[in-house]
Amino acid sequence: MNIYQPHLMTINKVIQETPDIKTFHLVFQDEEMRDNFRFKAGQFAEYSAFGHGESTFCIASSPTRMDHIECCFRSVGKNTAGLFGLSEGDTVGFRGPYGNVFPLDKFKGKDLIFIAGGIALPPLRSVIWNVLDKAEDFGHISIVYGARTVEDLVYKREIEEWEQMPNVTVVKTVDPGGETPEWKGHVGFVPHILENEFAPNPDNTIALICGPPIMIKFTFEALDRLGFKQDQLITTLENRMKCGLGKCGRCNIGSTYVCLDGPVFWAEELAKLPKEY
Amino acid sequence: MKTATLQKSDIGKCLDLLIQSQKRVIAPQLRPRLDSPDAIDVLMLTPLENGDNHQVGQGILPLNGVKEFLFVKHEPILAFENKDNKVHIKEVHHKYPETIIFGVRPCDAASIASQNAVFSSDNAGYNDQFFTKRLENTTIVTYSCTTGDQSCFCTSVGLEPDSDRGSDLHLTELPDNTLHVEIKTPAGERVANILAPLLQGEGDQAARDTAGKEAHKNVSRIRNSHLIKAWLDDQSNFDDEMWERLGEKCIGCGACTFMCPTCHCFDIVDETRGSKGYRIKFWDSCQFDHFTLHSSGHNPRDKQYKRYRNRFTCKFKIYQDKFNAQGCVGCGRCIRDCPVNLDITEYMKEVDLKASLPNALRQDPDFE
Repeated sequence: MNIYQPHLMTINKVIQETPDIKTFHLVFQDEEMRDNFRFKAGQFAEYSAFGHGESTFCIASSPTRMDHIECCFRSVGKNTAGLFGLSEGDTVGFRGPYGNVFPLDKFKGKDLIFIAGGIALPPLRSVIWNVLDKAEDFGHISIVYGARTVEDLVYKREIEEWEQMPNVTVVKTVDPGGETPEWKGHVGFVPHILENEFAPNPDNTIALICGPPIMIKFTFEALDRLGFKQDQLITTLENRMKCGLGKCGRCNIGSTYVCLDGPVFWAEELAKLPKEY
Repeated sequence: MKTATLQKSDIGKCLDLLIQSQKRVIAPQLRPRLDSPDAIDVLMLTPLENGDNHQVGQGILPLNGVKEFLFVKHEPILAFENKDNKVHIKEVHHKYPETIIFGVRPCDAASIASQNAVFSSDNAGYNDQFFTKRLENTTIVTYSCTTGDQSCFCTSVGLEPDSDRGSDLHLTELPDNTLHVEIKTPAGERVANILAPLLQGEGDQAARDTAGKEAHKNVSRIRNSHLIKAWLDDQSNFDDEMWERLGEKCIGCGACTFMCPTCHCFDIVDETRGSKGYRIKFWDSCQFDHFTLHSSGHNPRDKQYKRYRNRFTCKFKIYQDKFNAQGCVGCGRCIRDCPVNLDITEYMKEVDLKASLPNALRQDPDFE
């Protein structure tokens, strides 16, 4: 078997999230794959626009909703631009799922806070829908989400949907200068809003964080000041990858390969790694 | 273990016998380094048509290692075609001809296990068939070194000039111009069977051991490496001043990684013509600035010295931790071929010094 061979998937639906971010709904062309494919929240895959290359994104949909797979990506490089140009009915390549998972068993009975910035919401969204679909297993759900501007927020319709749910609190913010006259959310960086406006109680709570390394750093610090312990913080890293299989050599942080040992890390695991992520 | 004796002057005949038995035979030859009439000939492992002009046992080390015959520089891993608005993918069927690489130096032979640890299913269960199928069909005939040059340092990383690790058939030159032949594996035995008309009686084990010891004396560059792993394991050394100071002159050309027999990094890209294309896996280097660059613009290894720190750490820690294999085989290519004379053994020397300093001295704030 060729480990680099992708499965073919058809784009069922394209959602333009922002001017340069799209969501794809993907369905396996092979019937057997459609029936047998399984993954868990937190895992990632390699997506290709044939002729352009491969890129690494998380699986943004929930394993509780298996009628299609979703990915959400920004057009920044050759392959993502290639993907961006595809339409409904077109084919993409898919290799995965790879990597470890969010240990949902360990979250049972606890309140969960999801903290994300910009394009980092999709990796957490898989977990969000997963826990919302099994709401009886978990406590209160909070979602703290920010982007540079109002225009850059992804999943705008779903955020509204979450805001309507009784067991969900949504705290949304945009960076200073990114607001519009109609904006009803906060204005400020995610770690600041989290600490000063939302100020969650750490009791029986797990915080799931995804964002650029600098945001993870400041968010950890803010949560630390709020009284969160290291074993209450979990994050997912987004290092550059090519193979996803522990061979191509670029996603490592010291001896830790994000593709094999991650992408999901507890804060205490992260603290043991060299500061090179 | 079976041994035999072979006349050194019969190597050409050995190569001819192997070529006649329909094997692809690769051995060191003198070849122009560039495609130019002015190019200087260098020692290169090259497929042979006959045994006439081989350089087996000559020189120190071929410019290229065995790596490029197993982990190919640039190879299609998938074919695809856009037809009638649909994508069709096809397996690429490479030929994996039965290959004998003859005259491999012990350092290069030892590196194969390291590469295999990355590419085979031993690594998380993912088997890169493009590597492992080639390896299955490759027989390694090693040739002990009798001397080293100023860049060789195999004895500093646990190897010897006459090591037989990774060898199927091991040859050691004796002072009487014969070769001591050791059959190490069934694949080596198959080669020995082809060479049977040229093999004589049992080998002289005592003479072989003496030759090995003599060769050991000729490897002059000696560093301690036994303290390096523990020093790298100590996270506080990640920000040691040494990294920036020694790495300052690195220009990030990546030559060390391309020459290195254990470096395994690669990139995957699509190459297309019209509606058809190939997905290509090709050598990449952790020394390039875009290697780890995130799409956001963030780069975890944003300075050249950090990229060299990663390379050194990969050789002396990551390979051990992650792949349970040896990261550096001491071939010295990264020293010989570096355009700015960056020397991995200088790092080894510094780390050894730092690691062997008494604790009290290390904790003295005035000590640099």
